[in-house]
Amino acid sequence: MLSRTDARAPGSKAPAYRLRLTDFDLTLPALGLLVLFFVVPVAILLARSVSEPVPGLGNYAELLGSSTYLRIFANTFIVSGLVTLVSLLIGFPVAWALAIMPSRLASVVFAILLLSMWTNLLARTYAWMVLLQRTGVINKMLIALGLIDKPLPLVNNLTGVTIGMTYIMLPFIILPLYGVIRKIDPAILQAAALCGANRWQALVRVLLPLAMPGMAAGALMVFVMSLGYFVTPALLGGTANMMLAELIAQFVQSLVNWGMGGAAALVLLVVTLALYAVQLRFFGTDRMGGR
Amino acid sequence: MLLNFDRLGWWKLVLIGITLLTAAFLLLPILFIAALSFGSSQWLIFPPPGWTLKWYQELLADPRWLESAWTSFQIAIIVTVLSVLLGLVTSFGLTRGRFMFREALKALFLTPMILPVVVLAVALYAFFLQIGLNGTLTGFVISHLVLALPFSILSITNALEGFDKSIEDAAVLCGASPFEAKIRVTLPAISHGIFSAAIFSFLTSWDEVVVAIFMASPTLQTLPVKVWATLRQDLTPVVAAASTLLILLTVLLMVLVALVRKGLKS
Repeated sequence: MLSRTDARAPGSKAPAYRLRLTDFDLTLPALGLLVLFFVVPVAILLARSVSEPVPGLGNYAELLGSSTYLRIFANTFIVSGLVTLVSLLIGFPVAWALAIMPSRLASVVFAILLLSMWTNLLARTYAWMVLLQRTGVINKMLIALGLIDKPLPLVNNLTGVTIGMTYIMLPFIILPLYGVIRKIDPAILQAAALCGANRWQALVRVLLPLAMPGMAAGALMVFVMSLGYFVTPALLGGTANMMLAELIAQFVQSLVNWGMGGAAALVLLVVTLALYAVQLRFFGTDRMGGR
Repeated sequence: MLLNFDRLGWWKLVLIGITLLTAAFLLLPILFIAALSFGSSQWLIFPPPGWTLKWYQELLADPRWLESAWTSFQIAIIVTVLSVLLGLVTSFGLTRGRFMFREALKALFLTPMILPVVVLAVALYAFFLQIGLNGTLTGFVISHLVLALPFSILSITNALEGFDKSIEDAAVLCGASPFEAKIRVTLPAISHGIFSAAIFSFLTSWDEVVVAIFMASPTLQTLPVKVWATLRQDLTPVVAAASTLLILLTVLLMVLVALVRKGLKS
């Protein structure tokens, strides 16, 4: 490919075009890095799921046949679904308000969103571990208000994981949804009002349907991100609420069972990729990603 | 109606109320941790019975905290430099190139960003155990580079796509070599993309914990691993002090970004 660069002759129109052919070469270093330290290791891990301890699909049969593991799969979906639902319920009104409120006030809220997103994940999780513990501020406040008699178990259970993960996922649903609502033409809602729709009708039959693509895309992204989450569930969840990522880590770290670890990783990968395929198919690529 | 703030009526109050509550929900835990780090209570009682700096003293007196912070910093800086350089070269290839499978290649470059980190962590852990890179600085740098590169490529590609290439061609017509034109014309024009690539790469590595948990050895660990290991034992206020310093760093980075954006606009 280098010879093509040498072949360019000054003055002709060809060189610029020929130079472009070598642009592929520029991507080779990154491609090499990715193949060697991403594609190959993941492929080896997945291969071990059908070769260790004995060749065959034994690991998958064990993984999908045992009620212990099925409960972990179910739990992963329940937590992710719950986090997505709560994020959506809070995220929609906030994104809506941000799209129409005076820009001064909106920029303050945006700064808080960014600060929260950029703050170290462990620092945020730690904050919730302290806030939600038995002697924590939230329990104390509820007791002081007379709402409860003795401290509620808020951490090391489903409540703790849901609160902690919603806290992390909210910005990821608010920001894309804000972009979608912002683009809706206010005249459409004026038209709805002129045609006699009251607020509720305008909300349910005009605004919500128009915001639906953004809600679906944001919800899918939060759901997929939640599926693979490790740190927050491990610190805020209990042993009864183990999620799939923790199971993978446990297979590899404590049990040193690479076959089962690989099989569980494949399950997570397949579900994630399938959901991303849905996302790409219906919503395009522009709302993908995020930390 | 619904999209006109002044004509919302009492709905306006509801929306503003939810938004302010959410903002408080997002902000208060961060402020809470910062306040607790100065509180004298070992059991993290709030409001604290008194104020003290002893958790910061304890943090700074323990060489393991400082060592892990230094390790994190070294890794993050190396990753940032490599990620920006590699991101630049790759982005030029991706935006200027007209080769087959360009879109597929672009998608491949972005995959580490969307896949569950735990899968990459476990896969690299197994791989590095075999080739002897586990628990080494090189191992950390490579794995964080894989995670940071997509953000770098995305930022720089976006900037390059918004840059009119004919300006670079004009420089070449005026006598600059193609390389010189890229360095002196194109790079300054896409500096905002390079800047966000650097910030994202740094934060990706500096805050990364899942891969680091697997990659760490008893002698080499990053700051997030140290926080993680401490949290698994107890909720000591020393972690509050460490978290507060991390929050401070975040605020500084945000101010830096805001200043640079302002500088670029004017």
